[in-house]
Amino acid sequence: MSQSTKQLQARPRGVSQWALAWRRLKKNKTAIAGLAIVGAFVVMAAFDRLVALYPPKCIVGISPECPSPAFISNGPPSLSHPFGTDITGYDVYSEIVYGARAAFLIGLGATGLAILIAVLIGLVAGNFGGWIDNLLMRVTEVFLVIPFFLLLLVFLQVVLKFSPASTGGLWIVVFVIGAFSWPGAARIIRGEVLKVREFEFIGASRQIGASSSRILFRHLFPNVLHIIIVLLTLQIATSILTEAAVSFLGFGAPGSNTWGQQMYTSSNFIAQAWWATLFPALFVTIMVMGFNLLGNGLRDALDPRLRE
Amino acid sequence: MSIIKYVLRRTLYLIPVFFGITLLVFTIERLAGDPVQLYTALNPHISEQQRQLLRQSLHLDQLIQVQYLSWLSDLFSFNLGFSFSGGSVATIIAQKIWATLELQLIGLALSLIIAIPIGVLSARRRYSALDVTITSTSLIGTSIPIFFLGVSAILIFGYNLHWFPSGGYESTLPSQYPYGNLILDHLWHLVLPTTVYTFAILAPVVLLVRSSMLEVLRQDYILAARASGLKDRTVIYRHGLRNALIPIVTYVGLYFGGLLAGAPVTETVFNWPGVGRQFVASTTELDFPVIQAVVVIITLMTLVANLITDVTYAYIDPRIRLE
Amino acid sequence: MSSEPILRVHGLKTYFYTFAGVVKAVDGIDLQVNKSETVGFVGESGSGKTVTAQSIMRIVPTPGKTIAGEIEFEGRNLLALTESEMQHVRGKQIAYIPQDPTTTLDPVYSVGDQLTEVIRRHQSVSKKYALAKATELLYSVGIADPQIRVTQYPHELSGGTKQRIAIARALSADPILILADEPTTALDVTIQAQILELLKDLKQKLNVAMVFITHDMGIVADTCDRVTVLYAGQVCETGTTEQVFEKPKHPYTEALLSSVPSLALRREKLSVIPGNVPNLIQPPSGCRFHPRCSYAKQICIDKDPELESIGDGRLVHCHRWRELELKSAVAS
Repeated sequence: MSQSTKQLQARPRGVSQWALAWRRLKKNKTAIAGLAIVGAFVVMAAFDRLVALYPPKCIVGISPECPSPAFISNGPPSLSHPFGTDITGYDVYSEIVYGARAAFLIGLGATGLAILIAVLIGLVAGNFGGWIDNLLMRVTEVFLVIPFFLLLLVFLQVVLKFSPASTGGLWIVVFVIGAFSWPGAARIIRGEVLKVREFEFIGASRQIGASSSRILFRHLFPNVLHIIIVLLTLQIATSILTEAAVSFLGFGAPGSNTWGQQMYTSSNFIAQAWWATLFPALFVTIMVMGFNLLGNGLRDALDPRLRE
Repeated sequence: MSIIKYVLRRTLYLIPVFFGITLLVFTIERLAGDPVQLYTALNPHISEQQRQLLRQSLHLDQLIQVQYLSWLSDLFSFNLGFSFSGGSVATIIAQKIWATLELQLIGLALSLIIAIPIGVLSARRRYSALDVTITSTSLIGTSIPIFFLGVSAILIFGYNLHWFPSGGYESTLPSQYPYGNLILDHLWHLVLPTTVYTFAILAPVVLLVRSSMLEVLRQDYILAARASGLKDRTVIYRHGLRNALIPIVTYVGLYFGGLLAGAPVTETVFNWPGVGRQFVASTTELDFPVIQAVVVIITLMTLVANLITDVTYAYIDPRIRLE
Repeated sequence: MSSEPILRVHGLKTYFYTFAGVVKAVDGIDLQVNKSETVGFVGESGSGKTVTAQSIMRIVPTPGKTIAGEIEFEGRNLLALTESEMQHVRGKQIAYIPQDPTTTLDPVYSVGDQLTEVIRRHQSVSKKYALAKATELLYSVGIADPQIRVTQYPHELSGGTKQRIAIARALSADPILILADEPTTALDVTIQAQILELLKDLKQKLNVAMVFITHDMGIVADTCDRVTVLYAGQVCETGTTEQVFEKPKHPYTEALLSSVPSLALRREKLSVIPGNVPNLIQPPSGCRFHPRCSYAKQICIDKDPELESIGDGRLVHCHRWRELELKSAVAS
């Protein structure tokens, strides 16, 4: 690439890195679409009572809080039930709206745990190197090879069978997903740490006697922050997807009203009432898509190599 | 160093990993509870004496390390024990493994065959309408979970249009076979699951091929190759693609492990009689011998996939042989 | 050394269409290379030297595009050729030696593979013959044990060796013109000297014409017959090495000559050209050098000068060349 083009792509003085990244993100149409989708779901979750048509877990036509219209089980989409009803008589659309909160809970909870572990391991391994790095990477590899999804199912079945507390169940799912999702991210973070360490300034600060933990937090962390943000966003998508799959197979927390659970309860009736399974699945897809598009957009916008 | 030595090195390296995994699986299983209790949970009429015998045969009266080692030695002699609901685990697995492998391998192969040319095309025509379409579609495609795609496909092509069966491995009655042919019947059942599965894994691979190619095509040696007058095709495929394949091979290797682990979902959606669907059933009943066996086998397949990935990588990139 | 031109570039313009704006990297360049002569192409980083070479070869990377000019070579305008025809010019008639030897070879193929590939592209010969020729080429560029080197991979070799291989690759199809893009810049000083000697040697033996792109006036003095000085995508002046070094006609040339340590003879201190390389999206008005020129007048700010021919094959791009008595730091 010619020298002049390289020069021009250098950041003009005075504009912060974040402002520049935000500008680039705005230009990326798919990323903005992702952001819009996520935003829409935030609204849906925050104002669920307003967006939904009926109160939660309300058997339309029978429960006192939603006496009309008439009860119909596995009813097809209609004016009063835009996405139809399921076997119990719940309005599918409303249940989907109420499921949004659970989706966020899962996404943020599991991701928070996973990324926390990944950052710690990645930073420590990349920064200290040597036998610590080796050990941590071997452990990571073992975790990566294990079919985590299979073990997840086993874990959940064991725990949920022996401790039938229903609302607690969702937290267990969140915890287990988070506890198993860190290896991939840890490896990537470690890679970034190694790349950043090659820059002179870390060596320079080491020379002037900065302590290890100071280097770790004041120099390394901000520079790997960009990759952490991307991983975080993408991990939210993965966590939601994983919970949906787990619940769809019947291993979810029974009391929780996640989209995956909704798919599961209706999965026996696909032939007669496909809407009750398909629409929750659709919403899982859209939400995952939103976070994926946003995450990919962030990756391009925050790339420190400033690609054209 | 030669490829062979490299392969040996990597294989040796896998052994401690394998032990780590077996240890982990063993631990989890033991944490779940007393095996005798679990075994006999389905049958409350077993006498205390019988329980004692069972305990002894499972070596539960010995030290935990001995238990682990004896389990391990059983594994290596393919003695996978007996399912809690009867039947030898080895037999159960042997019956189902082929179905799983069929779907996984065909899906992977097809998706690679399709994804690589598309990714290369997209990279070569960067910023064109074609590229934008491919990239956007793929981005969206990466987010579509197999249960959505699969259920939709079954509903449309199975229940509605009746083009393909809505699930299963083969028709229940020979009279349903197309043209009375068993093989054709099986192929007919294979189409929908394979197509959906291929589409599901196509998207991320296309994106990866594209981004890898873009990265490679910016390199100096590509410019130098062009400057030497080499044909465009030579530059792109001989020099470009080979270098681009390096991160792709790595990714696909890792990805395949994840795909295998997702077999339960895929096989449940399509009612496909593989080890994945079996795993769901066994896990629901907490049938540990089967659970263990499936986990170990899938882990092994992942390790083998990793090994193949490493070897391919070493073949493509001579620099790695030095490590 | 004859004055029969084999390459004549006229009014070349190559622009880069980036998100930040249009970079006018090469904005009206004239260049002539005669048979068997070595022309130095001098300028600072960012002056457009590499882009010019890439434009001649038509391998300018996107988002760059050559939008104007003529490149006359062997009786044809290279810019009018199809890509397929151009592929027969590259390597075979005009060869390019890139700047960075460490990245110019494909890491996954052996040296032998890469050389024979180029040889067999331009000549239909057997693999055996191509390999033998490749080995011979390696020997001719001063590589010891060529039979071993030929089986090795780039990562096993030093920078100097890789540069020799790049030179060998350029020579493999017997071109009549070589574009050497700063072939010594990325190397250690001791290796630099060796490569320069090699190039001078080859130039004599093979009688090949060469464009030697560099930022080092010292190298120009040592190896080039004629020189073209470049600034911010435009030519400042052209002439024989002697003419330009003894009596520079452009203020930039004068400044360049006085800032080169290797030419320091009767000077007290090393001078530095004040200011920075201009922004090529919005270049300075009039003469692009005016913000840094100690002789600039109003006309220099208002109007872009013409590239005038002032006799003896010299060209100058300055309003004030008649009046200025520029001093050369090089004693004659």
